[in-house]
Amino acid sequence: MFGWLCTYVPEEIIHAAGALPVRITGYSQEMELEDGTAYLYINSCSFSRSCLQLGLKGEYDYLDGVIGGSTCDGARRLFDLWRNYIDTPFYHVLTVPRKYTQPAHDLYNSQVAQFKTHLEEFLNIQITYESLYQSTGVYNEARALLKRLYELRKFDNPPITGAETMEVLNACFRMPKELFNEWLRSLLDELAISDNTHTSRARLMVVGSVMTNPEFIKSIEEQGGLVVTDELCTSTRYWSDPVVLDGDKTPVEAISRRYLNNFPCARMFPSDERFNRILDLARDFRVDGVISQIIRYCVPYAHDLPLLTERLKAQGIPTLALDVEYGTSGSGQIRTRVQAFLEMLEAKRR
Amino acid sequence: MIGSQGRENKLNSIIRACRIIVKMNQASPERRKSDAMYYQMLASYYTRLLNAKKEGEFVAAHTVFFPAEILYAMDIVPMHTETTTWMIALFTGDSADMLSTGAELGLASEICSPHRGLAGAFALGVLPRPSVMLWSNLVCDNTAKSGELLMEINHCPGFFIDHPFQHSEDEEKYLLGELTDMIHFLEEQSGRKMDWDRLADIVARMDRQIKLLREINELRKAIPTPFSPQGFLQLLTIDYLFPGRPDAIEYLETLRDELAERVKAGQGAVSPERFRLMSLFIPPMYLIGFLEKISQEYGAVSVTEPFFTYWGEGDLDPAKPLESVAKKSYMIPEMRMYGPLDERALNGIVSCAEQYRVDGAVYYADVGCRHTCATIKLFKDVLDRIDVPVLTLDCDVVDPTITSEEDIRDKLEQFFELLEDRQ
Repeated sequence: MFGWLCTYVPEEIIHAAGALPVRITGYSQEMELEDGTAYLYINSCSFSRSCLQLGLKGEYDYLDGVIGGSTCDGARRLFDLWRNYIDTPFYHVLTVPRKYTQPAHDLYNSQVAQFKTHLEEFLNIQITYESLYQSTGVYNEARALLKRLYELRKFDNPPITGAETMEVLNACFRMPKELFNEWLRSLLDELAISDNTHTSRARLMVVGSVMTNPEFIKSIEEQGGLVVTDELCTSTRYWSDPVVLDGDKTPVEAISRRYLNNFPCARMFPSDERFNRILDLARDFRVDGVISQIIRYCVPYAHDLPLLTERLKAQGIPTLALDVEYGTSGSGQIRTRVQAFLEMLEAKRR
Repeated sequence: MIGSQGRENKLNSIIRACRIIVKMNQASPERRKSDAMYYQMLASYYTRLLNAKKEGEFVAAHTVFFPAEILYAMDIVPMHTETTTWMIALFTGDSADMLSTGAELGLASEICSPHRGLAGAFALGVLPRPSVMLWSNLVCDNTAKSGELLMEINHCPGFFIDHPFQHSEDEEKYLLGELTDMIHFLEEQSGRKMDWDRLADIVARMDRQIKLLREINELRKAIPTPFSPQGFLQLLTIDYLFPGRPDAIEYLETLRDELAERVKAGQGAVSPERFRLMSLFIPPMYLIGFLEKISQEYGAVSVTEPFFTYWGEGDLDPAKPLESVAKKSYMIPEMRMYGPLDERALNGIVSCAEQYRVDGAVYYADVGCRHTCATIKLFKDVLDRIDVPVLTLDCDVVDPTITSEEDIRDKLEQFFELLEDRQ
């Protein structure tokens, strides 16, 4: 089993090696982070500290390796500390360019190829083109099924809530993909004939930092908002784009192209690529308002916020900006602010 | 957009302060000549910047560790963004209006203060508007992410250099491509052509500059050490603002000769020299005067700064100017912190501690600097192996509301007591 730290790590390579890729997400609820804070300091994001905390406590001892990317300061320092203090047999970090240019794709392709070679050496196996094609098929199917799930959320009264969707995604990060695909197909069949529908005071989109706690979404939905879509690396950005296999590219080239071109994280340049895709989502899912949840010290998203808010405002979409800690359940002050936001959205509609 | 509303340009304050210091230094024969040269260089840098637009010059604002050699070769006026916010904090002690305006723009308090302050300063109109904005991901997310908002505030185009994370042949090639693309962008925007001969001259001088810095570092190994307790900030600024400039060579040669003379005479920067310190990262700029004073009081002096003054190995080749600019970016001391934190960084610290015979290290834990603070535990453990204690000082390089002078005094005094007990 190999743990991966960021959506820029190509899971297909690990899967094609016959291993199980597991997303390292720390503890998805708020927790005491004494060790994480002692090692990474208070100004690292609580996501990094949560992951390190569990690693230091031995909760990831089952991993045979950890793979990270140079995606943000939090991720790279988490990787540094992990490598220095947690005994995992295999480590690899990928240079992930921040641009989408052809030279950036060439560089990332060489990084993915090096990662493949490193993994082959470690496992003493050959990752064949055939196994890469097969893994890509499995992962593309998961992406297609998740897309179908999200299509249901475009309905006026969707059959599934945002919190329930997050539960599905959490399973996706940890389960063998073949089994996940089987279960998701069953869920989609059930939802197709279900008369379960959800009405709401407002259709919402959640954007911003990494988040895996369904309780946060639930707290919004308990107040009458319905989260119909999201732009998180643990949601839409995880599954949105398939690997496009064509005759011109090797599977490694196709995989690396998909990962760099995928729905971008705030780390990428230019930021308008991300903003435009958020605006597309808002239009497609008929979003009334956006909730931006940014973990304290998650600097890439914090820098984007003024620019994104301005672009959403130009489309008549208000934004509620929440400073949160990773794993927050959305209680207390956050609940009050969401309530006021929903009231504002209702007043705007009248 | 917040307007300038008759506010004075902040550069005026820097220029005025530098000129006063130059006059004071010239009137005090006991002061280092290089000190006056340094402040004269700062005054000239900011005067040129202040008058640039009026004189029809093309101004490029750029973030830290940016290859300003290219700008000088194209006769473009550079504006080092982070250093400018530090200088405002250093010479005026007041960045409150800039920081609060940054907050009004929607920038969270976790974003590092030089970047929040800079956005605020541009929005207030208290810094000249650049013709272009240039930035890179060296060396953190704040630098990588600051450029686009600054482009919008200043209504100017910009270029982002994507510096690869690790060092391989593929990554060097990628970086060269990025630099080439930036030159094309600048040629298009400024209407000026890159002068390759001039770049070669600048690279030759930059190579000389690095060698002089290495010579100065050698002299700083002397006991007592000859350079002033916080003097390393001058070396840093020279590197940031004046790469490959003739006046930088002149300054460094003068400083080297002054230090050599002091070493020969057995004259230390503090007397008596009691504590030889390693400085990890940047002290609060608004407290530099105080830090200098307390260092003199306790006989404490920074003798080495692994991430600011301790250059990596290698030479630059003027025959390959652009390749050398790319190579230099891997030799910059702070690059030990970039890429995976491996033996390069960790051995660098141990080696500095041993070579410079340090008694202790002071870690300036800037609350807005995530990529540095996340190394505190790691560096402490590494230094602990060779029995070097580390003081962690929570602070902010620009924002005086994070910690007080009294608090820093208390912590430093306790640390000096500890060091004394160990002696």
